[in-house]
Amino acid sequence: MNPITPIINGLKITLAHLFKKPVTLQYPDERPKVAERFRGLHALKVSHSKAKCVACYLCPTVCPAKCITVEAGEDASHDKFAARYEIDMLRCIFCGYCVEACPVDALKMTGEFELANYRREDFIYTKERLLEKK
Amino acid sequence: MVNLTIDDKQVTAPKNATIYEAAKANGIKIPILCHDKKLKPFGACRMCLVEVEQMKGRQIPACTTPATEGMIIRTSTPEIVKARKMVLELLLLNHPIDCPVCDKGGDCDLQNLTYEYKVDANRFVDEKFHLDIDYANPLIERDMNRCVLCGKCARICDEIVSFGAYTFINRGIETKMGCEFDEALNCEFCGSCVSVCPVGSLLARPFKFKARWWALTKQKSVCSYCGTGCNLTLGVKDNKVLTTVYDENQGFHNGQLCCRGRFGYQFINSDKRLTAPLVRKNGVLVETGWDEALEIVVGRLKGGIAVAALATPRMTNEELVLFKRLMETVGSPNYDHSAGYAHAALTKGFARSFGTSASPSTILDIQKSDLLLVIKTDAYETHPVVGFEINLAVKNRGVKLNLLSDKRGKLSKLPGAKTLVHTPGSEIAVINAIAKSILDAKLADGSAVAVPGYADLEQALAGFTPEAVAAQSGLSAAQIKELAADYAQAEKALIIFPIGLAYAGHDSEFASAVANLAILTGKLGREGCGVLCMAEKNNSQGAVDMGFYAPLGGMDAGRIIDGCASGAVKTLFIAGENPAVSYPDHARVQAALYKVECLIVSDLFLTETAAQADVVLPACSFAEKEGTFTSVDRRVQYFKPAIRKIGQSRSDFEIFAALIARLGGQAPASPAAAFAEITAATPAYTGMSYASLGEQGAFAAVTVKPALIAPQAPAPAGAPGKLALVVGSALYHNGTMSQHGEGPMYVCPEGYVELSRGDAARLGIADNDLLTVASATGSVKLKAKVSLRMPEGVLFTPYHFGATPVNQVWSGAAVTWVTLDK
Ligand code: SF4
Ligand code: SF4
Ligand code: SF4
Ligand code: SF4
Ligand code: SF4
Ligand code: FES
Repeated sequence: MNPITPIINGLKITLAHLFKKPVTLQYPDERPKVAERFRGLHALKVSHSKAKCVACYLCPTVCPAKCITVEAGEDASHDKFAARYEIDMLRCIFCGYCVEACPVDALKMTGEFELANYRREDFIYTKERLLEKK
Repeated sequence: MVNLTIDDKQVTAPKNATIYEAAKANGIKIPILCHDKKLKPFGACRMCLVEVEQMKGRQIPACTTPATEGMIIRTSTPEIVKARKMVLELLLLNHPIDCPVCDKGGDCDLQNLTYEYKVDANRFVDEKFHLDIDYANPLIERDMNRCVLCGKCARICDEIVSFGAYTFINRGIETKMGCEFDEALNCEFCGSCVSVCPVGSLLARPFKFKARWWALTKQKSVCSYCGTGCNLTLGVKDNKVLTTVYDENQGFHNGQLCCRGRFGYQFINSDKRLTAPLVRKNGVLVETGWDEALEIVVGRLKGGIAVAALATPRMTNEELVLFKRLMETVGSPNYDHSAGYAHAALTKGFARSFGTSASPSTILDIQKSDLLLVIKTDAYETHPVVGFEINLAVKNRGVKLNLLSDKRGKLSKLPGAKTLVHTPGSEIAVINAIAKSILDAKLADGSAVAVPGYADLEQALAGFTPEAVAAQSGLSAAQIKELAADYAQAEKALIIFPIGLAYAGHDSEFASAVANLAILTGKLGREGCGVLCMAEKNNSQGAVDMGFYAPLGGMDAGRIIDGCASGAVKTLFIAGENPAVSYPDHARVQAALYKVECLIVSDLFLTETAAQADVVLPACSFAEKEGTFTSVDRRVQYFKPAIRKIGQSRSDFEIFAALIARLGGQAPASPAAAFAEITAATPAYTGMSYASLGEQGAFAAVTVKPALIAPQAPAPAGAPGKLALVVGSALYHNGTMSQHGEGPMYVCPEGYVELSRGDAARLGIADNDLLTVASATGSVKLKAKVSLRMPEGVLFTPYHFGATPVNQVWSGAAVTWVTLDK
């Protein structure tokens, strides 16, 4: 093969791309479209204006990063609820096991990925912050 | 032995084994749901189905079918697996399947079997149960929707606890487990039913939703309440003891516990625990550092014989020897425990009658005996798990039970139990009369004549003819003679009695009188025979073995108290005792605590006594330290810490070691080193080490040199128009520490005075009336409890409560004469 041919082939591809839609996203001016099954920030699902979570402790048990803290409480009708539910996002590896483990489908992962923050404490997501926003 | 084939494996099994037991002994697992090794076979669930070739392949329950010679058994053919799956499907049909919120999850037999047999769908459809759940009970939550009707709760409550709280109610699909008339549960709250329930129908409410089973660290330990020495497992999470975990293979008692052991652990992580040393400055106790506190204590301890010490027998053996060493370093022989009299039965009575200050018999002898003579029905209340052993012996082995007591009690209700109710304070006379009848009826063993003291005893008993004693004891001569004959003629007989702060009448004279019976009839030194003296606290026997009581020339507890008041004792170091509540004669104790120049207290809590101290040292509980306890039957048991020490608290071992070092003495570096010194110095403990004690513990050796002692019986007393008050222990409490246990306080929150129906009617008293009980010593207000078990003219009150100090009326006499006023 003529040594120049590969170079010309390469330049062809480059040339073709000059006329295609650019891949680079002008973030933050442009927002990405997050895939449906993307594993971003967790959310606690709400039903009848209460968190669905029954504080079964399965997600903290399965979590490989050990970053979920649950404390159960007993409500007025003697049912179990999560008096405390916290995820330490600095340790989370976004594996999604917690969602898979939940027996009552109380947890999901959202498309939210902008989790940067200034202080370490702000990475601890409490129950209030995790409650699903409708 | 029988030979049989299980799953193609040739095995042998004991003759009376069931198929299940034969398989288990040979490492073959058959699933069970309603069977429990402690209970009689029941066969309710059909999980354990197996096929026996000789029965034409029929499926039969392994847990109820005896293994017979030549049986060929298969435990897991496809048909059996199919049948078991169906059993599970049917059980799950009405079950709520609320595992995520059920505290049993992870430790649930139904859940585990469902998982193992992969039952993930149900071919049947039916409605779930909608039964009311009992949330009101503070200790046991009952959710009968989850019940699999295995009957274990009812069976254990009947067979072992002998209470009988539950029974099956209704028929067919409506069947449920319930209490009498389907009302609320009101029982003795031992929690046995909770421990055996295979599902989440019965749950410990104090632990509700606190943690999942798998998140708990399970630390084996020894109960720190009474002297039975039950083994228990503490469930720990985040440095907190959250519950006790049932382990059916633990201890002689197979994991059985009483209310205090199972539900009384909350004192460990109580927020009332002392977390820093306190020193009195300008009249108030203020927090300080250990250095300052220990410096003050050391300064005060340099007082030689003006220093005295009182210890609680709840401390470990290692701590008690160290405390003794501290007193030796100080140069004072003034130390004692348990008010000085509560251990006299052992240190004086048994010491002279048996030549050893320990019981010759063990708890294991109960099952091997033919006849039990229990003195005071209170033995059940003071040592409930020993009570379970008595229940089992009487109900399962047909052991005869005779009771000699000043009131009836739960033990009186056992089948065939004979209770002789004597007038309070006449027990020594009655026992002497029994000895006299044994001699008169020529029922004494041939060996007795040769025992030193025989002739003297014979002479001394001359006045104790059954007829003479009958008059003062409220019994008939015939009853005394019959009991004597029963006891003497039994092949094997065991005498059991409790001692403790509340049982002042069970002193050295009493112990010798009891010992005489065993010696005279030769019921000693054989299995199933002898005497079991049950000391009150978890390490009472250890305190005696370690010699933590006044040596020759030293003051005993009574004299120490008086010495404080008179000024002879200037510094009093109290480790763990709460004399202000638990020692008799409140006024006398208060005068002493008030007068003594310097009062040093080490305790878990700011008790009524600690509140008056000049220096308070925060000690730690058994769950935070290691060491050994010796049970009433000499079983030495080692336990490890379950959690880190709370706050700045230190173990008494560390406190005493630091003080010895500051006083220029030498202390062993660790509890293990201290134990090595104990085994070298105490012949009964020779050869023991922490490693060799293991989980089972080991019995301290005992060598009995019998001697017959003529016991002095107190003259019968009486006071016209007054009632006889006897002090004792309540089933739910032990000492004053159980006031910090949630379980005991839920069931029995305050003191009371128990009286007979006759007296109640005569005085116009109803249950819960507030009565003023007054004696020559003082008065106290207590709630009335009218009961069937009290004889007329006799009152009973437990002594544990700081809020209603019974020692305001009780001066340490076996019987206190009181009046009752509304
Ligand atoms: S995504 Fe994974 S690491 Fe993150 S909380 Fe869930 S289980 Fe834990
Ligand atoms: S697994 Fe689900 S129900 Fe259980 S604690 Fe986690 S979020 Fe709550
Ligand atoms: S707690 Fe004990 S006494 Fe009460 S029902 Fe259960 S087993 Fe019976
Ligand atoms: S409550 Fe528990 S122990 Fe009692 S029958 Fe039901 S499942 Fe069995
Ligand atoms: S208090 Fe006594 S009987 Fe009850 S569990 Fe503890 S050691 Fe056993
Ligand atoms: S375990 Fe045999 S029938 Fe239940």
